[in-house]
Amino acid sequence: MGRNAADGTESGNIPALSRRTLLAAGTAALAVPKLARADEVKPKVTVISQWSSGSDGAAITALGKEFENEGGSWEHDPVPGFTTAMMNKLRAQIIAGDPPAASQLKGPEIAAWSKIAPVVDLDALVKQAGYEAVVPAELARLSKPEGHWIALPIQAYRINTLFVSKKAADRVGLTKLPATWAEFNAVAEKMKAAGVTPVANGGITWDDGMKWEIALCGISPAAYRKAVMELDDGALKGPEVLAAFRQTRKLADWSDPGFAGQHYSVFIPRYMKGDIGMLLMGGWAQGVFKHAGFQFSDYLIGPAPQDDGKIAFDLNSDEFIFWKKKQPEFQAGQKLLADIVMRKDFGPMYCTITGSIPVRTDTDLSAPGFSDGQREAAHAMATAMGDNRVVLSLAHNMAQPNQVAAAMLDVLTEFVHDKQISPEQGQKKLVEAVDNVR
Amino acid sequence: MRAERGAVPTAWRRHRDRILPQLVIWPPLVVACAYVLWFSAWTVWVSFTRSTLLPDYRWAGLRNYTAMLANQNFQLAYVNLFIYGVLFVLLTLTVGLLLAVLIDQRVRGENVFRALFLYPIAVSFVVTGTVWGWLLNPSIGIQKLVHDLGWTGFRFDWLVDRNRAIYCIVIAGVWQASGFAMALFLAGLRSVDADLLKAAEIDGASAWRTYRRVVFPTIGPIFAIVLVMLLQFAIKTYDLVVALTAGGPGLSTTVPTIVIYDFMFQRGELARGSAAAVMLLLSLAVVLLPYGLYRRWRTRQDAIHAG
Amino acid sequence: MPASLRRLAIYVVLLLFAGFYLVPLVVVMLNSVRGTQDILRTSVIGWPRPFDWGNFAHTWSSYCISEHCNGIQPYFWNSVEMTIPATILSTLLGALNGYSLALWRFRGDNWVFGIITLGVFLPEQMKLVPWVIVLRDLGLFNTVAGLILIHTVQGLSFTTLFCRNYYVSIPPDLLRAARIDGAGFFRIFWRIVLPLSPPILIVTVIWQFTGIWNEYLYGVTFSAGDHQPITAALIALSAHISEAPDYGAQNAAVLLAALPTLLVYLFGGRYFVRGLTAGAVK
Repeated sequence: MGRNAADGTESGNIPALSRRTLLAAGTAALAVPKLARADEVKPKVTVISQWSSGSDGAAITALGKEFENEGGSWEHDPVPGFTTAMMNKLRAQIIAGDPPAASQLKGPEIAAWSKIAPVVDLDALVKQAGYEAVVPAELARLSKPEGHWIALPIQAYRINTLFVSKKAADRVGLTKLPATWAEFNAVAEKMKAAGVTPVANGGITWDDGMKWEIALCGISPAAYRKAVMELDDGALKGPEVLAAFRQTRKLADWSDPGFAGQHYSVFIPRYMKGDIGMLLMGGWAQGVFKHAGFQFSDYLIGPAPQDDGKIAFDLNSDEFIFWKKKQPEFQAGQKLLADIVMRKDFGPMYCTITGSIPVRTDTDLSAPGFSDGQREAAHAMATAMGDNRVVLSLAHNMAQPNQVAAAMLDVLTEFVHDKQISPEQGQKKLVEAVDNVR
Repeated sequence: MRAERGAVPTAWRRHRDRILPQLVIWPPLVVACAYVLWFSAWTVWVSFTRSTLLPDYRWAGLRNYTAMLANQNFQLAYVNLFIYGVLFVLLTLTVGLLLAVLIDQRVRGENVFRALFLYPIAVSFVVTGTVWGWLLNPSIGIQKLVHDLGWTGFRFDWLVDRNRAIYCIVIAGVWQASGFAMALFLAGLRSVDADLLKAAEIDGASAWRTYRRVVFPTIGPIFAIVLVMLLQFAIKTYDLVVALTAGGPGLSTTVPTIVIYDFMFQRGELARGSAAAVMLLLSLAVVLLPYGLYRRWRTRQDAIHAG
Repeated sequence: MPASLRRLAIYVVLLLFAGFYLVPLVVVMLNSVRGTQDILRTSVIGWPRPFDWGNFAHTWSSYCISEHCNGIQPYFWNSVEMTIPATILSTLLGALNGYSLALWRFRGDNWVFGIITLGVFLPEQMKLVPWVIVLRDLGLFNTVAGLILIHTVQGLSFTTLFCRNYYVSIPPDLLRAARIDGAGFFRIFWRIVLPLSPPILIVTVIWQFTGIWNEYLYGVTFSAGDHQPITAALIALSAHISEAPDYGAQNAAVLLAALPTLLVYLFGGRYFVRGLTAGAVK
């Protein structure tokens, strides 16, 4: 065979054993299949997310089925609990040297995490799919922190959505949604006088942060961008932020007295009965209502108040980040997953299950699986994109990395639950908190 | 080489009897010690580094400590730990001892009572927090129930009151742990020397006197264990608070473990979180050191009196 | 105070406390036989209207957690697979440690005991990353063996504490007599100490079983997919980020998940009070 003996002896006196070994090695060499080419390998992905149940769990399961239908091997590892638990698992896998092929991640965390472990460069795939042109600029920016695509957005939600209970609306003679904060406040006063609790929001940290950011976005998306996304000192100390604090104080006062620490879903029964009137929540609340057995006709849905009358869109989204893997089956799997996610019909498959908005602005939303609320929100996103009035959510960790967001949310949640903090003091504390983590 | 009959086996057996115990004693002891020492040392080390999302062993001096000490969450958490810790330990000890003494009075249905008081410790903290969160909620729980029964002036909205929410955590904590304290105390009460009790009875001592002079000293060692158990519950409280109040109205019921978890994992600041953890353990020393010294003094006193 | 009035007072107080302890259990039991729609429409505290007996079966065998629609049953057995070995190991090793520290004194044994006891105070959050490093270096990451190792080593702090404090009260005369008779380390352990141990061993086993069974943080971080323990499944049924949980299933799951520990306390409870000190030796 022209090789050295298997046991490395070079003398001419090859012992019988090593001759047999030679023969065995030779036979084995013939039996080894030729090195598989990349496109002959079965694509495989390991995915980590927090989506273990509910509509999120159902959606990612559907994605998994599609992946397997296309010949791939899908291994999803849901980490139940809050997002932090998922990030813990991801961190542990990275430290252990075995990151998943893809994992859920969002916002500025994509940039932060991409620095601690190697990620896949998706530029070629994105270019091939012509994806960048049809995705909101903000999402593209978040997905390419160093100028190269390393993550793909999966779904989007509008944060600044207003839901008004139909029964409560009837009790005060309301037929259409309040368009500005002034109108909203007037409606709230009417509801209060009629014995209806005006605001149905809960009182946990992200909910408190959301109330403030929806207020600010409604007052001035430009001020929001400067203050929250760019942390501009002047904007943070400015009148719009102060007005947002004032409006937030009103919203807190109009909430159920027992709302502290509660998830908003606790108030749904009374909301549907008309005892609580208005909910400022992300678009996913539609799914929650449906799950609770309530109909589309039980509530009015639309954008949250915008003082200047033009559409603004407060964006929340989830993405998959792709971690570099050496094995060819994972590389093939990542390519397949990226393909599926970037397709035009991915939105209709995934978002009809979760109630979110497809990321691609050229998605056809006329399919029956979409609700009018989703269509309206998607239209709002496209419009706002054109006017550069898309802002990123603070409370859902899109606008700032977690350290900064957490510091700001601490101030906001304390403000909501402590009447002794005046709006002026709240603003001062916010400025201080931002300075500490800048 | 022929050895004397029985000489080799005996020597070998003696050798074995000396080595084998060493092989068996030392590994578990060493592992248990090493685990505590290494994990603590690692945490201390990281607290002086620049670690954020992942461990990063570059030196950062005292920066993390000053940052955490100045942090509002951290300060609130410590105050809360103190309030919660003191109330939780005192109330659980009291309730546990009370229930143990009551059951020890030869009541009927002792098994049922004991099972009822003991089962809460079998439940996970998450469940305890969740269910008590429902019960203490003024809009859906006890307050609402009492209102529905007609007494509309009743108020029990501590859960949503930022100054009182911490007491709700105390209630849930006492509910969970007092049965365990009761069980241990009951065991102690049952093991009191019957002869001593009889002697006290003959001497005509009142029930209270008997308890004070005979019973309580006997259950001293049990007391120590119960105290350690309750202290470690109090320090490590996390799931209960998260499930019950999510940190309370705003930040008002945050506790050190929440701050540690928040900084280490939510905010990706491993070093800051480690500094918080080290300070938590140091604060424990403040409690344990006096206790240790007190025990030392007691032992010396007992030795003096005995000798 | 007359004796009969005192008896009455005792029973009244006991019954009041009994009520205090029972209420949460009753709430969960009622919820477990209510439909989620019913709970969402009314309140999480209430009487079943109508009764929905399907929650248990559905939760046990067909509830969907991501891709796996086998209910919480597989997670239940995962917990069993992890908890039983870890409980047994940590109890045995703790007994050994306690025996060594209590009855075979050596230089620095108090220090060793102190360090081991300190382990009970270490918060879980701080130990997470070090455990990742340890498991990675041992090649046990994401395995049941890794979790068993974690719970055994961490449990050693508790079990050593319990056993050592129990063994120090064994009368020294017993040991002296045995040693005069020529008994060594193992014979004393086997013949004298172990037969005296059931009360403390049962306490230790109960404590460890409950602690490990109900543990969430490590269970979720160091296992994957459907190899996760039951606590992960419970959180999957409860955590609401954007949605409301399926309350009926959640409460049924809570009861099912708590069953082993409840049973352990039900049957083991009496041994707690059999006498934790060697006073029972007489």
